[in-house]
Amino acid sequence: MRYGTTITALDELTVAVGPGVTGLVGANGAGKSTLIKILLGLLGPTSGHAAVLGHDCATRGVQIRTLTGYMPEHDCLPPDVSATELVTHLGRMSGLPPTAARERAADSLRHVGLYEERYRLIGTYSTGMKQRVKLAQALVGDPRLLLLDEPTNGLDPAGRTAMLELIARIGTEFGISIMVASHLLGEIEQICDHLVAIDAGRLLRADTVSSVTKASAVLLIEVDEGGELLLAELTKRGLSPVAYERGLLVQLAGDETYDEVRDAVADLGLPLTRMEQRRHRIEELFRTDPALAGETIGVGSVS
Amino acid sequence: MPAPQASSGGVIHNIGYRRYDEQRLGRPQIVRALTWHSLRSAFGIGRGAKAKILPVLLFILICLPAAVNAVALATNPSGGPIVSYDLYLPQLRIVTMLAFVAFEAPNLVSSDLRTHSLPLYFARPISKTDYALAKLMAFVLACLAMVEIPLILLYIGNASQVHGPSAVWAQTRQLGPGLLYGAAWAVLLASIGLLLASTTGKRVFAICAVGIPLFFSWILANVLMHIGGQVFNPIASGQPPALESLAGLLSPFTLLGGVLRWLQGPPKPGVPIRQALQQTIIGHFGPLYGAVFVLLLAAAVAGLIARYRRVSVA
Repeated sequence: MRYGTTITALDELTVAVGPGVTGLVGANGAGKSTLIKILLGLLGPTSGHAAVLGHDCATRGVQIRTLTGYMPEHDCLPPDVSATELVTHLGRMSGLPPTAARERAADSLRHVGLYEERYRLIGTYSTGMKQRVKLAQALVGDPRLLLLDEPTNGLDPAGRTAMLELIARIGTEFGISIMVASHLLGEIEQICDHLVAIDAGRLLRADTVSSVTKASAVLLIEVDEGGELLLAELTKRGLSPVAYERGLLVQLAGDETYDEVRDAVADLGLPLTRMEQRRHRIEELFRTDPALAGETIGVGSVS
Repeated sequence: MPAPQASSGGVIHNIGYRRYDEQRLGRPQIVRALTWHSLRSAFGIGRGAKAKILPVLLFILICLPAAVNAVALATNPSGGPIVSYDLYLPQLRIVTMLAFVAFEAPNLVSSDLRTHSLPLYFARPISKTDYALAKLMAFVLACLAMVEIPLILLYIGNASQVHGPSAVWAQTRQLGPGLLYGAAWAVLLASIGLLLASTTGKRVFAICAVGIPLFFSWILANVLMHIGGQVFNPIASGQPPALESLAGLLSPFTLLGGVLRWLQGPPKPGVPIRQALQQTIIGHFGPLYGAVFVLLLAAAVAGLIARYRRVSVA
């Protein structure tokens, strides 16, 4: 996908996504939103081909959009109507008859945890409530697929957790396939079965969550003093540590890595202040493993 | 101690998910639903009490002449109707419709632009052109209601005061052209109004974007018409001067007046050219008025569709 002649948003991206909850991760500007708009048939790819639910995105956008719910990334709610009115109206826009639209609007708002407040004007809502309304309007037409663009944007930690639980519940209990775009891998890996990682419009990796996270975990070790000693000791033990901020990073191969680190620190008698599992930033993470970066599965490619 | 939950409003009730397996409406019905929703919002229905004040006041204002006409006929049956079906009360109609279009067109289009809710529509089955056409239909219907309902009230008032079927039929035959001319008002003003309002998402700017061009073009057309009539005057050749005849093309309101003059045919002998106050003078440029009307209408509709074609869905 190219905008004008200068900006290439997606480049030779080939990926296939099955049912279930799929995470679409990438830094800001990686092309997540562009990919979602291509899937909705709102943007035509400059070249290539994409299909959703068996329909070609370029020619059968109407069928796709009938079966798909979309939650935009940005604020998109009019402040001067109530949540019930808005979601009912958008239910009508999804093709529901008037009575069904009212019923399903009430249902969707209840599913996202807005019930008592649904008659209030949206302008009086908190950011968390607005995100829920955005999710409810995507859900109102009983979609087969939900495309959620940064659903946890602007939420506090508690709100994030609640939103992620809600999305996971929609995926598992409601049986709706979901593609959720986020720039926070750590956040969406909790709820996804599959991950698609993109960067600068190129596919970094598409795989199940478990295999991605296994390859990506690192251990951060911080000691009050004697960092150089520990670095040397860990290198001797074959862990190839890297200095990172005030601590050291080692690749986490399994439980034995913890044991090695523990023994190294104990042998040197250093004051250990922190030892935690964490991840590189997404783009670094995938770049460190060039063998995996080119891997693609399935069909369908856009550029 | 009270239970800590239930106060935050964040409780998620587990009621199970219900599928929707019944009939789904197609694009035409969705467009109709959007049209109906927008038509209601043009009169402030579904937008709170404050939004209804202006459209209701304007509607009452534009209906007043019909009521006055009915009262006049009732008190003095021999005097005949004082308001005509085609011209109605030109000044009042212009001012009322100018205000209606300037204040209500932004409600239909610019609020969706301002709140960035267009992606919510375009992620659903309807296309951008469907959206633009639904809004246009809705606003044409709203303007039709503003122009035609007073004419129908006028007709009811007149018909109830005349006697005999032939007199009622005569009234009906006069009403027809009046309604057609009113429809020309509605389609032209609605298209121009929506196109101008859709240029900006800010409500105040949108009101200005619609109101200022419509108002000043009308003033300009009248001033030029007056200058043409006064300065270059004399009706030597039996035709008014070209400046006076062409000035009416500058404003939609005078353009509509010119189209009416053209369709009514040349003035009957003995009737002065400037018989009624504020009627457009068209001279022998009648067909030009017709052509400009059609072109302006087509350009406004095409412009509106083009504007939504290239609207961003970010």
